Amino acid sequence: MTPSMFSPSTSEVIAKFVEKYPTAKQVSYDAVSSAGALDAFEALYGNRALPLYNFAEARTIVSIGADFIGDWLGGGYEKGYALGRNPKQDQMSRHIQIETNLSLAGANADDRYAVKPSEQTSALIALYSIITGDSQIFKPTSIDPQLKAIAKELKKAGNKGLVITGSNDKNMHILAMKINLALQSKAMCVGKPVYVKEGNDKAVQQLIQDMNSGKVGALVTYNVNPVYSLANSAEFVKGLKKVSTTVALSQFTDETAKVMTYNLPSQHSLENWGDAMAVEGEYSLMQPTIRPLYDTRQFQDDLLKWMGSDQDFYSFMRENWDNNILSAKAGATWNQALHDGVLKLSLDPVMPTLNEVDMIGVAKSASKVFKASKGLELELYMKAGMGNGEMANNPWLQELPDPITRTAWDNYLTMSAKQAKELGITNWNVSNGALNGDKVELKSDGVTIILPVFIQPGQTYGTLGLALGYGRSEGVKDAMMTGVNAYPLYKGFNKYVSNVTIAKVEGEHEFACVQLHHTMMDRDVVQETTFDIFKNKDKEDWNPMVALATHDGVKPVSKIDIWEAHDSSVGPHFNLSIDLNACTGCAACVVACHAENNVPVVGKEEVRKSRDMHWLRIDRYYSSDMNKEKAKEEGLSGVTGSIDMYHQMEVASANPEVVFQPVMCQHCNHAPCETVCPVAATSHGSQGQNQMAYNRCVGTRYCANNCPYKVRRFNWFQYNGNEEFDYHMNDEVGRMVLNPDVTIRDRGVMEKCSMCIQITQAGILSAKKDGRKLEDMDIQTACSSACPSDAMVFGNINDESSAIQTPLHDDRKYYLLESVGTKPNVMYQTKIRNKNS
Amino acid sequence: MKELNNRYNSLRVHFVFSVAFSFLFSLSIFAQDGDINNGKKLFNTNCAACHKLEQRLIGPPLKGVAAKRNQEWLNKWIRNSAELIASGDADAKAIFEEYSNIPMTPFPNLSDQDIADIMAYTDADPALFQKKKAEVVVVEVKPIQTYYTEVIIAVIIIVLLLTMVLFKLKSTLNNLNREEQKGYFDELKAYLAYLVKDNAILITFVLVISLGGLYAFWEWGVGVGVDKGYQPIQPIAFSHKVHAGDQEIDCEYCHSSARTSKTSGIPSANVCMNCHKLIQEGETTGKKEIAKIYDAIGFDPATSTYKKDYVQKPIKWVRVHNLPDFVYYNHSQHVTVGQQECQTCHGPVEEMEELYQYSPLTMEWCVDCHRTEEVKMAGNDYYKEIHEQLSKKYGTEKLTVAMMGGLECGKCHY
Repeated sequence: MTPSMFSPSTSEVIAKFVEKYPTAKQVSYDAVSSAGALDAFEALYGNRALPLYNFAEARTIVSIGADFIGDWLGGGYEKGYALGRNPKQDQMSRHIQIETNLSLAGANADDRYAVKPSEQTSALIALYSIITGDSQIFKPTSIDPQLKAIAKELKKAGNKGLVITGSNDKNMHILAMKINLALQSKAMCVGKPVYVKEGNDKAVQQLIQDMNSGKVGALVTYNVNPVYSLANSAEFVKGLKKVSTTVALSQFTDETAKVMTYNLPSQHSLENWGDAMAVEGEYSLMQPTIRPLYDTRQFQDDLLKWMGSDQDFYSFMRENWDNNILSAKAGATWNQALHDGVLKLSLDPVMPTLNEVDMIGVAKSASKVFKASKGLELELYMKAGMGNGEMANNPWLQELPDPITRTAWDNYLTMSAKQAKELGITNWNVSNGALNGDKVELKSDGVTIILPVFIQPGQTYGTLGLALGYGRSEGVKDAMMTGVNAYPLYKGFNKYVSNVTIAKVEGEHEFACVQLHHTMMDRDVVQETTFDIFKNKDKEDWNPMVALATHDGVKPVSKIDIWEAHDSSVGPHFNLSIDLNACTGCAACVVACHAENNVPVVGKEEVRKSRDMHWLRIDRYYSSDMNKEKAKEEGLSGVTGSIDMYHQMEVASANPEVVFQPVMCQHCNHAPCETVCPVAATSHGSQGQNQMAYNRCVGTRYCANNCPYKVRRFNWFQYNGNEEFDYHMNDEVGRMVLNPDVTIRDRGVMEKCSMCIQITQAGILSAKKDGRKLEDMDIQTACSSACPSDAMVFGNINDESSAIQTPLHDDRKYYLLESVGTKPNVMYQTKIRNKNS
Repeated sequence: MKELNNRYNSLRVHFVFSVAFSFLFSLSIFAQDGDINNGKKLFNTNCAACHKLEQRLIGPPLKGVAAKRNQEWLNKWIRNSAELIASGDADAKAIFEEYSNIPMTPFPNLSDQDIADIMAYTDADPALFQKKKAEVVVVEVKPIQTYYTEVIIAVIIIVLLLTMVLFKLKSTLNNLNREEQKGYFDELKAYLAYLVKDNAILITFVLVISLGGLYAFWEWGVGVGVDKGYQPIQPIAFSHKVHAGDQEIDCEYCHSSARTSKTSGIPSANVCMNCHKLIQEGETTGKKEIAKIYDAIGFDPATSTYKKDYVQKPIKWVRVHNLPDFVYYNHSQHVTVGQQECQTCHGPVEEMEELYQYSPLTMEWCVDCHRTEEVKMAGNDYYKEIHEQLSKKYGTEKLTVAMMGGLECGKCHY
């Protein structure tokens, strides 16, 4: 039993193993399944794979419940998506999301429709019927008129249209693929299959049946945790008792390893050799970066050993590459492939033959899978940080605030404000600002769970959301045993659960929510406009220059200086640009920053006290139904009127527009923090970086008080080697991930984003050593190099060839709170929404 | 012959005499037509890389080889062994196979006389050439004794004695004057009371004590964490003087990563073995210290082979130079880009028998150099533009690190 591995050499080892022991069988198991998509592709093309989606090619994207910026079908689509959303081009893609929970993809959509899971099926069949002309029966939905307009738009987009579905139902995927085929969509390529997912739900269930009927003699699990993640895990455990030999190959003594007879510690992927083929004809190689820390052996070596082979996996893999992979490309050598890390065979897409499918049957069975019910409907989802729970022992991911809810260390039931009001459920802030909430008892088909409720704008009325991946109980540190396990609800690998009832119970839950205010209160903290205005109007209309009145008359802020300006003409001067159109809010940069800069993890209790240490946060704002203009119309004026107005402004819309704005130290050229430090611990560098000398800081925290962006963090405790903070800095292996080039800060000092000065200095040094000019490649910060959608661009503004020049001179450029006059070295690019005009 | 260092000067004189003396004997005893001195020279330049006299190295031990083989065979073998093997000579073949089929480097340049000289040397009594085992002079390192306390006590005693003498003198004089007599301590008390009464004296006294105290506190404070002169005992009595000084081995031969990385690196034992595979005995400590490398890496000097499946042990060198964690220092920045000599910071390492910390490694010390040292920009394209701009800005061609922003806190502290 293995997870998706998509490794050609591992497949080869397993094939050899099966050859030697013909009764052996490999069962692929993905905790959160994508089998529906695989089965659909298999039904249409006879190959268990996924189509290659290229969102850059799409002009109209319609996603029905697919969180393609999250981990839909293995993820990795944000780059193409962001490319298509660059408004510089004549056209910018339009993204319509029809979904239940407010997902990352939904938060980025231009138009978002909140529907129940049962309506998603009908919506897809409706689109199928209109676009292909092959009318199928579907139940009416709450958005029927909009669906007609969407279908029209898709038809207009033609081969630049794309429809996807987030369901794990084979028939739903067939419907979506058929629509794309009818559109002749360029964004879906079936000629280059993708192999990142292998999980086979039927085979897993068959295995459990076979185990229970005593047909299985030995079970070897590798890197899977079915006891934790199977909805019918009790059946699995019962079946295990009838299996005479059970072996768990795992890095940790997790839930599954606990109940198996033999535990063989397997290796971390950094200790392993490996290869992969994610896309047909595109191979990659992995070599170990460290010698095994413990007395362990990698899975493939185990198999080879058990086959009685003297070969180790490295030589096996080399042989496999020589014989089967390198030979396919002229001049390809092992050393070159290993050096490059990738090997691309320039294969032309091969169009597979399309099998006939009975579409009436497909539509019928699609409607059958999920029936509308009287009770509430629940959608299970995965958080951007925690995923399926495999990495629950990683404190970075636990502490990562969810991009949407901005809440860490937990999972919870998300509920619409309307529903909560009806049920008398509330969320409230306690005196130190921390968020508390009511608890409910959730019942569905024999499963009862007590959960906290988080009131979530954008959640469809009549539905609930709950994240998988929490509630681990074995193989993780005590501090990482957070939340509740939602897998018992994930029956039949269906993330939509019908007929859920909830009842309020006694007690309150403490959340670790890092954001207290959720709307911008009609201020332009984040600049945004629509594509129509951007295209047709003058820059001054949608991104006006910020000016202030002075004794000399009105002057642009950029021309006003109270102090003498720093000379930044000599040598490099660094700037960072963040394109809010490309930023999807995925939070990869937050974790990258955490890792690069030895940012401590502080735990739930401290996060509740707003003492989280993230150097880089992603602010998320919802739109509100109230604004000053509307207040005027409604006659809300005077003291009571405006108080009423401000109260209403604080409330997010039921289905809000969402913006993400990553905020780190803005490296102001006129930094308010620098002028108030009594010991000159924070000072300005000639390269544009606001520097922080930790060993000089005495911890007055004046700087944090004077920072308009609130990006400075104070070390309230010593977070390393402290039993009270039992995260990665409290044990020897955890400390191995610390960056040796960055100081570990001690208790009582301030810290903040350094613009990765350790990287810029190392880059400058390598340029000096080579005797050449500094290049962009030398100096990419942790956030800019981790950004999957290239929203973050870092470069030297004194270098004409640097990529930073484009955003620096872009009309969309704005500075955060520019009127304060801090003259930051971090700039933002206005967010553009492609609204239907 | 390599010059011995001064410490063994007397031994050297003995040695030279004894060698010279033995030569007389050896020449008379072994009436061979080879010149042993020349033979030794030739042996060391041509043969010593693969042969030892008494021990097997890459090739067989050569002691008494002239007695085993005849001169003609030897000449052929030495000039071109491959030819001899090819000719089917049984002895040649046997030797070739015995020594793992490694062919011997041919020496066609050696004349018959040269070979005879070498043979003479190999036949000579090795005792003649063995140095008298250098006695290891154990120098007892005594802690530098400070006599402050003793001196102070002595001074106090002297002062007390003096006052008593003066008092005695005064009382005698008083007696002569028939004045009223006071006891010694009464007098002292009165004097102290007078001192306390006089504010100027009191203030001066307090000021001197407190300023002195402050100064002492300052001196102590700035010395915290400054380990200049730190000289730990190392697991192997490795002498930088012998290696870097006498043998003139380049620093970066062993500390090669100084050129490319943050740290200068402690050479791994295999770097030691580059030389010590052959040099199995040193002049100061004999085999004792070198054996520690062999023990760590698993090398058998008797057969000159590495032991199979040996569990290697680390040599636990004690770090001498250690900067605090909050400062970033990069060797390659200074060695490769700044073209600094190692000695600039590490001092005369080539004269250090045991390594010690030469510089204080304080920030003041770093900054002093950054203020004065000219950046070597010539020929480095990175600086091309920067040099031009900075020269214009400061009006000088001589640009220091400080002018480039090298004194900004964040350049070293992050």
